[in-house]
Amino acid sequence: MRRLICYIIFSFVILFLIPFTSYSAEKPIVIGAPLSTAFLYGWDAERGIKLAVEEINKAGGVAIGGKKRPLAVEVIDTRDLEPGVPVSEALLAVEKLILDKKVDFIIGGPVRSEAALAAMDLLSKHKKVSILTTGVLTPAYHKKVADNYEKYKYCFRNTSHVGVMMGEFVTMLEDLRKAHGFNKAYIMVQDVAHARAGGEAMKKALTEKGWTVIDMKIYPTGTVDYSVGLIDSGKKGAQVLFLWMDMPESAALLKQWSDMKLKSLPVGFVNAAEQPGFWKATGGKGEYLIVNLVNGGNAPAKITPWTMKFVDAYKKKWGLEPEGYGTSSSYMAVYQLKAAIEKANSTDSEAVVKALEDIDIMGVYGRMRFDKKTHQIIPSYDPKEGAVTGIIQWQAGKRVQVFPPKVAEGKVLLPPWMK
Amino acid sequence: MEILIYGIVNSVILSLMALGFTLVYSISRLPNFAHGALYITSGYITWLFLNKFEGFPYPFAIIIGILITSIIGALIYRLVLIRIRGMEISEIIASYAIGLAMLEGLRWGGLRGMTFTLPTFMTGTVNIFGVDIDYQRIIIVGVGVSIFLLLYLFTHFNRIGLALRGIAQDERAAMMLGIDSDMTAVVSLAIGSGLAGFAAILLLPLGNIIVEVGYNVLIFAIAVCVIGGLGSWVGTIVASFIIGFAQILTEAFLSTHYQMVVALLAIIITLLIKPSGLFGKQKELEERV
Repeated sequence: MRRLICYIIFSFVILFLIPFTSYSAEKPIVIGAPLSTAFLYGWDAERGIKLAVEEINKAGGVAIGGKKRPLAVEVIDTRDLEPGVPVSEALLAVEKLILDKKVDFIIGGPVRSEAALAAMDLLSKHKKVSILTTGVLTPAYHKKVADNYEKYKYCFRNTSHVGVMMGEFVTMLEDLRKAHGFNKAYIMVQDVAHARAGGEAMKKALTEKGWTVIDMKIYPTGTVDYSVGLIDSGKKGAQVLFLWMDMPESAALLKQWSDMKLKSLPVGFVNAAEQPGFWKATGGKGEYLIVNLVNGGNAPAKITPWTMKFVDAYKKKWGLEPEGYGTSSSYMAVYQLKAAIEKANSTDSEAVVKALEDIDIMGVYGRMRFDKKTHQIIPSYDPKEGAVTGIIQWQAGKRVQVFPPKVAEGKVLLPPWMK
Repeated sequence: MEILIYGIVNSVILSLMALGFTLVYSISRLPNFAHGALYITSGYITWLFLNKFEGFPYPFAIIIGILITSIIGALIYRLVLIRIRGMEISEIIASYAIGLAMLEGLRWGGLRGMTFTLPTFMTGTVNIFGVDIDYQRIIIVGVGVSIFLLLYLFTHFNRIGLALRGIAQDERAAMMLGIDSDMTAVVSLAIGSGLAGFAAILLLPLGNIIVEVGYNVLIFAIAVCVIGGLGSWVGTIVASFIIGFAQILTEAFLSTHYQMVVALLAIIITLLIKPSGLFGKQKELEERV
């Protein structure tokens, strides 16, 4: 009996010791992640951050002051992508992370542009360094930093924005014009601010390049019938359907497009088509759709040696491929922060801001460095020069990187009924 | 021609969304604001059986989905609404709270993302008078019309259906004839919820199973019922066609993003001109009294 009690006590001691022997005993550096966790751009960012933190902790942690400190994550649901939830909810969440959870840095969101822009003042007030990694596509974010550097210098963004994405789309469509003679586009966007702005910007850009933009249709959120617009696009000879939608019902548009066998290639920013499950959800009818995933590495690709290493690690931990926008950038933000803390040899905000401005690392989606004036990641079509986008086409159930040409793994395919 | 064809399809879709809501209100005078939640629940249960049990037959998954939704509807009455029956504001608040809890519970339980969808019954398209239309939409129109006919026959030639109509026409007189008011309310909630589930099975293959759709379905069901006149079957059908065609005409000749505005504007105009809706009689009766 005494021996049994000894065994039990010994087992408990071992169990308690395991966590302390695996990780460093130093005080953790806490990363706050304000994310809209019920939505793709929230949960994939959370998974990316947690994966990076786990990898860094396994390797010993962050080297600072001659010691190795582990990282810890505090995720809070901002709910800012939920319809009808006011911006103040997201601000309260950010403030709770800073004041209540005492986080050292912020990575992730808020995810909606309005909330992220409003949160900049909060970050400035508390001098908290933040790397925005998901959801926010508005150029206003980095313009605000440029316009008032001293106030907003704590805000960084390592993902792309609408201005860059437009250039990518236009370059790719121009390539398609050269290859297939396309010059007629039909724009279909969702009735939300960023999509309307995206549609208008594309209309202007294509018109300037000599394209004929037949029409621009704006659909209310929740629309499941696109037949009238699609029939109209077919009758008027559209060769490219440019889409900008973040509602799940856009999958219905692709189903109708495929059923009608329209002689136009769908291209755009389609939230519903980012996830690997899109293929099954449309019964394969989303084939040939070209989608911008904002950053490389949000789908399998060979952009840098780290890209597939990241994809494989993600698959091993979460059981599926990176799902979409926000995954690779959130993962990389943790590594960027680690590099900056180690360079600054401190967690002091002023020192880390300076270090983040100076770091230059080869990451999952190319060379990663921030513009010193705007704190926006520097984009490029060449991974050796800057952060590369992830424009994929759905081909036989897989997301194949088709743009930019330097990292493309396949060519753009046209549906058989277009040939 | 596409306006005519897709106008009819859109109208039938709207009437299917509103059918269960109208049935419950017309029989029991209960505004079931959990209608949208029941719609999504049915779709999600069917999806679960199809995707979690490999090889599970689609028809059985549909039947299970509709049956469970009907049982939930009956339970909502037996456990909650029975206690507050007759207090209209409380009925609205309680049923809306139940719907909210169901929808957000589903979201919390994993119904997140854009990959939840049901398969169409048939794939492919057919060309009708020069207009391409997919088989699923043709099935929706066919089944929608059949459901209306079946419900008409049920309420006119079946004992239970006649009892339901009796309660709807004059509750006290029906009770004097031995018809149990609470039991008919349970039956009406069960059938109404089943109809919400049935509509979900038909309509969700066109889009995705997401929580927000539940809220949209409730809004459209209320819009149709308010314009048609609460509790009026004919009103429901007529209002569905008014909104359905107004939306398609708006898309074709004005701009797509005014579609929702048109539906809501129709409610305001109807309420201004005829407060009880096109075929409703409540306001007129109140004024007469």
